[in-house]
Amino acid sequence: MLRVPLNQMLAVLILSLAIGLFTNLIRPDRIPFLAQDMVIAEDLEEVSGEPVTVSLAQAKNLFDKGIIFVDAREDEYFADGHIRNAWNSGFFMELMYKLDSLQTKDGAVVIYCSDDDCGSSEELAFDLYNEGFTKLFVFKGGWLEWNNAGYPVE
Amino acid sequence: MEQRRISRRMKNDMKNLLVMVCRIFLGFMFIYASLDKIANPEEFAKQIGYYKALPFGLENVLAIVLPWTELIVGICLLAGLLVDGATLLSIIMMLVFILAISQAMLRGIDITCGCFKVSADSDKLGLDTIIRDIVFLVMSFIVLNRQERKFEFLPKSD
Repeated sequence: MLRVPLNQMLAVLILSLAIGLFTNLIRPDRIPFLAQDMVIAEDLEEVSGEPVTVSLAQAKNLFDKGIIFVDAREDEYFADGHIRNAWNSGFFMELMYKLDSLQTKDGAVVIYCSDDDCGSSEELAFDLYNEGFTKLFVFKGGWLEWNNAGYPVE
Repeated sequence: MEQRRISRRMKNDMKNLLVMVCRIFLGFMFIYASLDKIANPEEFAKQIGYYKALPFGLENVLAIVLPWTELIVGICLLAGLLVDGATLLSIIMMLVFILAISQAMLRGIDITCGCFKVSADSDKLGLDTIIRDIVFLVMSFIVLNRQERKFEFLPKSD
């Protein structure tokens, strides 16, 4: 017979809730209870630090300046179509090496994935940020918004 | 007669051994999984966020509480405390993880798992991460469905 030990389960849950909330209050690297949305870029030139998000118009602006675009989706999606001249993210170390060989850590990079509801562009942006890159734009509208707008693809 | 009794006892011993192996394995697994997350709450919260499965920025609450649940469940399984409750939580966590990974994969979200490590070199989401969780799920059921309580201290062993 399977047991359904609800009271025991609650005890463990309440204990972890209490310890988790308490330690989060006293530790120096505490985090807020609710996550904040990513900062939206205002002046594209002045971005330096954590990744910021850009709109479709801003992304097009960066595209016209010849900024590197990195596609954070899986290979098969990339193969089906991507923003013109965008790189496939591929292996992280390889991507970092390629970026490093072309520009400095404060060189701009635009990262996108399928649409507003995918997390891969954010993950890649923060991974690059942790490696010292400081001018990272996450284009949240991604492939869907870009393609719908009729901007250059390949 | 005597022989049958001995063989039945051996079968029971094997069952108890299997339960203990699962309990100890899951215990260490949960403790190991919790440590990196407890050390890096901000990274872990972001990692949950990439799954795009929670509204209102609730990933932070989960990142504050879940690692401790894993740690306590692991300690309970190893120490023989509240084993039923810990195992049930283990089952629920595995079901939630399997669901979260599947929905992300179905939507083509290409991210790392954040299962054991929160850094960039953690495993990619894939069929193997789902199968791994299914194995843990089966092990949890084996522990929950045990006939005899061995080395359990709260509630006391039979």
